[in-house]
Amino acid sequence: MPDFNVRADSVNVEQIMEQIRARIREKRGVDYTEQQIRDLAAVKLEKFLDPKGVRSDLLEQYRKLQPAYEPPELPNYEFEETTLYETHRGLLRFIRKLLNPLLKLFFNPNKLVQALHIQARLNTMYAEREARREAARRASDQLTYELIHNLVVETTRLGIEAKNLKMRAESLASRLEFNERRARALESVVVYKADEGEAPISPRPAPTPVSIPAARPAPTPPQQQGPTAGAQTQEGPGQRSRRRRRRRGRRSGGPAAAIMGGQPSTAQPQPGAPDESGPDNRDAADESPETNGTATEDLAQFSGAATHPSEPVAHPSDGDAGQGPSKTDPETQ
Amino acid sequence: MKIAVVVQRYGQTINGGAELHARYIAEHLARHAQVEVLTTCATDYVTWRNELEAGVEQVNGVPVRRFRVKRQRDERVFGRRSHRVFEHRHSLGDELDWLEAEGPTCPALVDYVGKHAADYDFCLFFSYRYYHAYYGARAAAARAMLVPTAERDATIGLSIFPPLFRSVRALMYNSPEERAMINAVSANQDVPGVVVGIGSEVPQNPQPGRFRQKYNVRGPFAVYVGRIDQNKGCKELFEFFQGYLRDPSSKLTLVLIGQELLPVPEHPRIRHLGFVDDADKFDAMAAADLLIMPSYFESLSMVALEAWALGKPVLANGRCDVLKGQCIRSNAGLYYESYAEFHETLHAIEQNRWLMGALGRNGRQFFREHYDWPVIERKYLDMFDRLKRDTPARAVDPLPGWFDRRRQDLPAAEEVLRKLPGGPVLAGAKPVPAEPRGPSTSPGHRPSTSSGHGRRRA
Repeated sequence: MPDFNVRADSVNVEQIMEQIRARIREKRGVDYTEQQIRDLAAVKLEKFLDPKGVRSDLLEQYRKLQPAYEPPELPNYEFEETTLYETHRGLLRFIRKLLNPLLKLFFNPNKLVQALHIQARLNTMYAEREARREAARRASDQLTYELIHNLVVETTRLGIEAKNLKMRAESLASRLEFNERRARALESVVVYKADEGEAPISPRPAPTPVSIPAARPAPTPPQQQGPTAGAQTQEGPGQRSRRRRRRRGRRSGGPAAAIMGGQPSTAQPQPGAPDESGPDNRDAADESPETNGTATEDLAQFSGAATHPSEPVAHPSDGDAGQGPSKTDPETQ
Repeated sequence: MKIAVVVQRYGQTINGGAELHARYIAEHLARHAQVEVLTTCATDYVTWRNELEAGVEQVNGVPVRRFRVKRQRDERVFGRRSHRVFEHRHSLGDELDWLEAEGPTCPALVDYVGKHAADYDFCLFFSYRYYHAYYGARAAAARAMLVPTAERDATIGLSIFPPLFRSVRALMYNSPEERAMINAVSANQDVPGVVVGIGSEVPQNPQPGRFRQKYNVRGPFAVYVGRIDQNKGCKELFEFFQGYLRDPSSKLTLVLIGQELLPVPEHPRIRHLGFVDDADKFDAMAAADLLIMPSYFESLSMVALEAWALGKPVLANGRCDVLKGQCIRSNAGLYYESYAEFHETLHAIEQNRWLMGALGRNGRQFFREHYDWPVIERKYLDMFDRLKRDTPARAVDPLPGWFDRRRQDLPAAEEVLRKLPGGPVLAGAKPVPAEPRGPSTSPGHRPSTSSGHGRRRA
């Protein structure tokens, strides 16, 4: 009977794990395992930092400096009543015991024994205390070494992370610069075409609050033409130049994507206010529909020009700063 | 056919991994053969105190013969000897002293096995690391089969065990990783062996709704079942899960089931239900979205198998070779080795219902193919048949003499462990030497289901 075999199924755990790891790498930039970071910390740190004087093999160096700790063997300080008379020879011990009373006739050995006993205890206490201190110092040294080692590892980790972030910041900056240049180029194209198209502008319908795309070639229903058509015919060169100025003002002040009809603004259109296909969009569409489409697409990707969440969203009714002329804007009526 | 199951503890209330494994095997083999369990009077694996009566009793229809433990474990002595053999150069005598200190020191059981081995066709020894298995298998080598329940811890690096792995008639492994490790440590490839594992008594109709109502658990949740202990990886699990909770898109709650040996963090989305009965446990697993298995050391995770039997995916600690191997072989679980991986894998399972479903289906299929009881029983019976046909070829290596036992020439077990190949066993993959994973093994560490390198001694 076979023990095990890998089952083929629609789910492949190893593949999923690979995808998950790839996603983690994407999120974190360069992904190092703990072991890899330790390995990096073990090599010369100069590769990542400029830590003049910091040695990457500190722990090893400390360990080399400090020989392996062996707890000291405490000497035997014991001194008891019988110590003075101790011997491994039985006969001698017997004789000493026999003559002990005679010795006591000459002086009092008890005092001597007592003093030596106290001294022995003091010696033992001192030796034990020293051993404890030494052990504590060793333990504290070990912790210090660990701490320094960890600091070195963490410094390496931070160095790597800082380097990653720096690279990402540089990459973003270059992309931003490129996109800015691109946006400027596209805007100048749009402006240029608008100037050229002055002649066809005149028959264009004037901007109205009605949200119907006037640029469409389809015939306009008669009921929507009345006052608008009148406004169109009454538009003079001064009005045109004013509109151009307004447009420039909007380009410099408002979100480009919104102006160019790209990403919709986060603000909800007010009832009665012109929508995305309002007069300005109609202008842009008239000027160059193809260029406008490209510009919209490009600018939508452009992080600087797209509506930033933190930017205040211009309301359509805010007049020139808004998306387009308000219903009550006297210049558009 | 008469089989003796020899295990360190045995009883209905004993839920240790290897002990439960032994009980399940004994009860299932009893349907095909005459089974007798030989064990000690102890119920506590730390002290080995004699708490049950010596003699014969019936447990679920299986006769159990108990023997008194000669002396309880002295934690201080055991700790000192563990430190000696795991961390320092030592002698064979030191290792034998360590084995005595570990226990359960039960010479009566070993004597009985030696004298009555001929009465049995086979003696099935559980947990290689204990006294009864080492001396018992030597006493009945011609009939000894070993269920090592070995984990990747320092014990496997002791030199007394390789001769044991080479001298038994057969080995019933729990996982391919366990087999690879024992093969590497003892070069016992010629000893018959098969990866068996163990089945589980999973109810056919668990009641997830009943569990949710009883414990007032709402919304999606991940479940952990087992001892809430640092050795089981729970500390890391708590850290990781608390980090995951900061993700606003996460909705999962962590439900913990088991004895608390580690403080559970106070958080409304981390709930500890304590010890629950089997019915509640299975209901909980059926109600859960997934099972999390954070352990670093497992020879076989029964809980993971039970989750798979219930069609639930498993998120396992990838630093445990066995769990990682099981996840990959079954295609029924993901694994993590860092916080980032934990977050992403858990997020992937939580957010992708199809992934959760597909992993669960694979798990159910994997369980049916490899761990259903008929499969397990068949593997044992096939092995008995095979051993009956073969004649025992090797004799037990005798223990060396007094002087050899005291020669300080054996490497520290941790050092041996470091040199062992690691990683999950996959088709076409070659294991590589690996550093030990997880927190360092404390002397008191005990295997979850429960597991030697050394040299062949003259």
